[in-house]
Amino acid sequence: MAASEPANHRSRADALRRRIATASALTPSELRRAALERSADGPPLVPPYDALVTQIGIAAYRVTDAQVSAVRSVLGSDKAAFEVVMSAAVGAGLMRFDRAMQAAKDASDAP
Amino acid sequence: MRLEEIDAGDTLGHRALIGFISLVSGMRLPDAARVAFYHQEFLGGTLGGWTQATMRGPSDWRIGERELMAALVAKWNSCAFCTGAHSAIAAKDIDPSLVQAAMNDFEAADISPKLKAMLKFLQKMTREPVTLTAADARSVLQTGVTKQALEDGIAVGALFNIVTRYADALSFAMPSSEEFDKAAVMLLKRGYG
Repeated sequence: MAASEPANHRSRADALRRRIATASALTPSELRRAALERSADGPPLVPPYDALVTQIGIAAYRVTDAQVSAVRSVLGSDKAAFEVVMSAAVGAGLMRFDRAMQAAKDASDAP
Repeated sequence: MRLEEIDAGDTLGHRALIGFISLVSGMRLPDAARVAFYHQEFLGGTLGGWTQATMRGPSDWRIGERELMAALVAKWNSCAFCTGAHSAIAAKDIDPSLVQAAMNDFEAADISPKLKAMLKFLQKMTREPVTLTAADARSVLQTGVTKQALEDGIAVGALFNIVTRYADALSFAMPSSEEFDKAAVMLLKRGYG
């Protein structure tokens, strides 16, 4: 898309969502998809992931050192823990994007 | 930074780049930039590219307005780093006293009705997303905001609901006011790409 064109935000959001699920990563795709959904109030994950991912979704400023280090310890690397953090953050943001875009669409579609 | 490898850099090249930029700029490279360099094979350019397009691409919203949206989303998410960073950038493009007024109380600030309506929508999107309805969107469109501009604002809201969360989960170090100001000049010019 040329730089002078307005952004197609839906395409960009969908590309980000797909990337979380399919990226070249250290963590299993299922874990990243589950984190994406959980931070948007989806089904719980097993410990220690659920505490961190839920906290990121609800109030990330309250995430603790212990929550991050518990996930890092289980996964064994900073990169793997980073993948879980980013998946949770992206999930919370994209849930809001979807809701907002639906509201915008409904406003435009209404007679 | 809770994950030390992000702080240090994950490759020799990134470590050298972090050191070089810090040296040339005269300040510690902020954690937001360190994250952008880190584990790039994971997200590729998907998040950074969308951020650049949203915050610096064509839009009816001027750059300062988009940065103000980002700063307020950060405030609503209690993210001190992003609140500081993006209000500083907004103040490079919009009257700083107006930025401050909007940060304190956007509904009372002397900003345009279009921007006020967009911010009200973003506040609900951030805090109570499941309650958003067509009526909320119509409130923005009725001020003359176009459908594209509404979507541009929504994209800012989505992106900064992402960025504020990883900034806080990773525990970004807080720059000083002078460092925020110096970084703001660079970010205004160079963006996020």
